[in-house]
Amino acid sequence: MKLVTWSLATFHATAFVLAIVLFAYSRDALGAGLSGLNTFVGLGLFVALWATTYLTTSRALRGLDLIGSARDRGGYPRRALRWGAANGMSFLAVLGLVALVAAIANTRPGQVTSGILVPFLFIAPIALVVSAAVGGAVGALFGIIDLALFAVAGLTGEGARPAD
Amino acid sequence: MELDPTILHVAIRWLHVAAMATAFGGAITVLALSTRPGADSASAVLSVAIRYEWLFWAAAGVLAMTGIGNLAAFGVALLGPTTDWGATLLLKLGSVLTLVVLSLPRTLAVVRINSTGADASGSIATLRNLYGATTVAFAAILAFAVWLAHGVAR
Repeated sequence: MKLVTWSLATFHATAFVLAIVLFAYSRDALGAGLSGLNTFVGLGLFVALWATTYLTTSRALRGLDLIGSARDRGGYPRRALRWGAANGMSFLAVLGLVALVAAIANTRPGQVTSGILVPFLFIAPIALVVSAAVGGAVGALFGIIDLALFAVAGLTGEGARPAD
Repeated sequence: MELDPTILHVAIRWLHVAAMATAFGGAITVLALSTRPGADSASAVLSVAIRYEWLFWAAAGVLAMTGIGNLAAFGVALLGPTTDWGATLLLKLGSVLTLVVLSLPRTLAVVRINSTGADASGSIATLRNLYGATTVAFAAILAFAVWLAHGVAR
């Protein structure tokens, strides 16, 4: 595990969630939204988002030297878009799996196929496309924000080369 | 057997406070180390700073996760943003988001200093400024948190 990957992944997950909470609270919509959420489920969802964001961020950064190479930093936003889409789909897959298991557990065995599995198979591809689009947009936005923050950190040229 | 929600909420608050103590205490530690005289200690301070950055991001994730859990415990009783309490919460959330955003360049700067082996006296001054700013930001967030927990809610 690398510090740059760990910090970028955690930055993306926490900043994304904090921005949503801040926006929802400023519109007075947070209390009602959170009251319908079981505490364990809420914690589990954040851990799932953190985990999928870490995995996709580490794939996005594979082979890139963001600290030492301006060229690698230039290619980063495209990867952020692609792996953001993958993150959106991965997180939705976790959500979908949990929802599917919970729904099957709370349904009579005779009704599982018609009441749960068929609608699930119909909705899943559409939901995956939407989650890829949303994830890609969020990934691209974070790619741009990250580049601005790299510049704030003084990473603008080819100057930072590893020490011997 | 069902878990008592009070125990769960106390556990989440304890975790939140522990993560805050780790992040704030760590920033104070690196700041204190970087203000000690002697440029020969720069590599030691940098080594502590690198370890702190790992801990900081772990604490940031735990703080976000447990912070939302704390807000969820209020449910529909959560005061709105137009109240004094709500305005302070907005300030706190905004400060936390700003600290998280500005912490990424701090981490990247520490990694850059570590990988280039920049000159000791220059890098120690940079570290002092970075962790001084982080400590001030944490102190402000802590002040908001204390007011939210013990101030009059209206």
